[in-house]
Amino acid sequence: MNIKAQRAATVPVPATSARNGAGQLSPAGRGRRLSAWRRRQLAGWLFLAPAVAYLLFAFALPIVYNVMLSFEQTSPATIAQFTAPFAGAANYRSVFDDPTSRAAIVHTFVFTAGSLLGQFVIGFALALLFTLRFPGRTLARSLVIVPWLLPLIVTGVIFKFLFQVEGGAVNQILMDVGLAHHPIDWLDDPHLALWTVLIANIWLGVPFFTLLLYSALQDVPVEVKEAALMDGAGPWQRLRLVIVPIILPVIEVTFLLGFVFTVKVFDLVIGLTGGGPANATQLITTWSYNLSFQVFNFGQGAALNNVLLVLALICSPLYLLLSRGSLRSSSGAAR
Amino acid sequence: MSRVQKSVALRWLCTLAALAALVIVLFPVYAVIVGSFESTETLFSGTYYWLPHAATLDNYRTVIQAQSGSVLTSLIVGLGTAALALVVAVPAAYALSKYRLRVTVILVSSLLICQIVPSIVLATSLFIVFHWAHLVNSYPGLIIADGTYAVPFAILVLRAFFFSLPNELMHAARVDGASEWQTFRRIVVPLARSAVITVAVFAFLNGWGDFIFALTVLNGSTIVPITLGIYTYLGNYSTDWGAVMASAAFAMVPAGVMLVVAQRYIASGLTAGSVKG
Repeated sequence: MNIKAQRAATVPVPATSARNGAGQLSPAGRGRRLSAWRRRQLAGWLFLAPAVAYLLFAFALPIVYNVMLSFEQTSPATIAQFTAPFAGAANYRSVFDDPTSRAAIVHTFVFTAGSLLGQFVIGFALALLFTLRFPGRTLARSLVIVPWLLPLIVTGVIFKFLFQVEGGAVNQILMDVGLAHHPIDWLDDPHLALWTVLIANIWLGVPFFTLLLYSALQDVPVEVKEAALMDGAGPWQRLRLVIVPIILPVIEVTFLLGFVFTVKVFDLVIGLTGGGPANATQLITTWSYNLSFQVFNFGQGAALNNVLLVLALICSPLYLLLSRGSLRSSSGAAR
Repeated sequence: MSRVQKSVALRWLCTLAALAALVIVLFPVYAVIVGSFESTETLFSGTYYWLPHAATLDNYRTVIQAQSGSVLTSLIVGLGTAALALVVAVPAAYALSKYRLRVTVILVSSLLICQIVPSIVLATSLFIVFHWAHLVNSYPGLIIADGTYAVPFAILVLRAFFFSLPNELMHAARVDGASEWQTFRRIVVPLARSAVITVAVFAFLNGWGDFIFALTVLNGSTIVPITLGIYTYLGNYSTDWGAVMASAAFAMVPAGVMLVVAQRYIASGLTAGSVKG
């Protein structure tokens, strides 16, 4: 806008020649404008170039290569050669025939569903708590995000320490208050271990839910809450009929993001149980690691990776739909 | 009067509930700090001590001797990841918000998808690709891998920020004769300082806390980040808990520092809809 205005000022065009002389003046003007447009496009592309190169190398190449690997007969010897003989769907067949892989898929579903449920219920309760005014609320809100900042492997290791059979803080307090009469084998009992991992992951994910839901609750207009109060709605009705419908979009996004990073969980399980006892806590991620990096069957590991990738990407259309605001503002208009 | 009393009581009840939640949230951190000062005998006595029992600095002596190299390694990786994220993301986010490019929608959608891709999928392939590119067991390799957490997040967060800068600002710079690069370097980047810090803090924490890529694209011999160091202390039957707790305490330091120094950047980064791990 300004450039055009300036050019108009520096190149005086007689009002009369504007129509007749257009054919004469315009090529030079358009040429200059076009070259400016081209220069800007070029600059934009140059600004993008490092990111495009990075995304191609660190995302596109591995994802494509992972698909290739999953159809190859790999062995430790083929790793150095980058390619291996074609194996058809053999890797996928072995993955689906393998009881541990199948169990890992089931565990991943249970783990993801359980985590999301637990994280949502506790996270929402805390978010509601933080909307109330009470002494120490700002401090509590800033400290509640601590689990989110710790390295995940550290969290896994700490919970391994706390859930020890003997000398573990969890068993100690349960027995001190009389909730358990003998130490519970949290990590070595195959029926219990997955629940222990689940508890640790809920602890880990609650802050994220709390934070996002809290900021959504902050945006609920006071007038709406007051109107509901005037109409004689009780606290439960206000929550269910007024507040939840308003923040529903945020709840959806939170669940979606929670899903995306729960299906990826790896470090926590490795630190806490290593996938044991007797593979009772193997998730797709940990079993895929085992296939690729412990028994060096990269083909099968890649096949299982693709199962995970499909699972994770199932929700991506929904994710893009919910993020459409961020896509739409890409039309270039400044807010 | 009783109404006031009731509301005061209710407030304190809320404080009590928040306190209970905080105890659960912070107890593991407390347990690490206490555990790191406990003697081996205490840790293996079969009793959990809520307060330090016969405190000692032995664990820290062991860990400082064995792991100071790892702390340095993790610092390098964290800073490297932050640097990579900024170099790649700041110009890209600027281009995706202020230039009308045909690829914008495709690229932003791909970035959203990139955040969904599980690290193990990338790690499996990157190990072989790195083998071929001679990047296995190298700092550049690990930093490139760790960038997969930070770069998509950084571009999306910075892009959202750049939308808030008025276009007139850039027009004015161009009218004054600034080139596209000068406009970016002298006008846009300085104004984006707070968003850049947010992104750098998260990228640093990603690099510092990464475990899966350290486990897969390193061979555990010469470059050992602190996360990998902790993992090697975990034995199947005997874990040296004292050393684990002291190194875990070191691994938590950046999170603590960031929470105190960069609190507002962390809060804004988290609400920007972050995806971690």
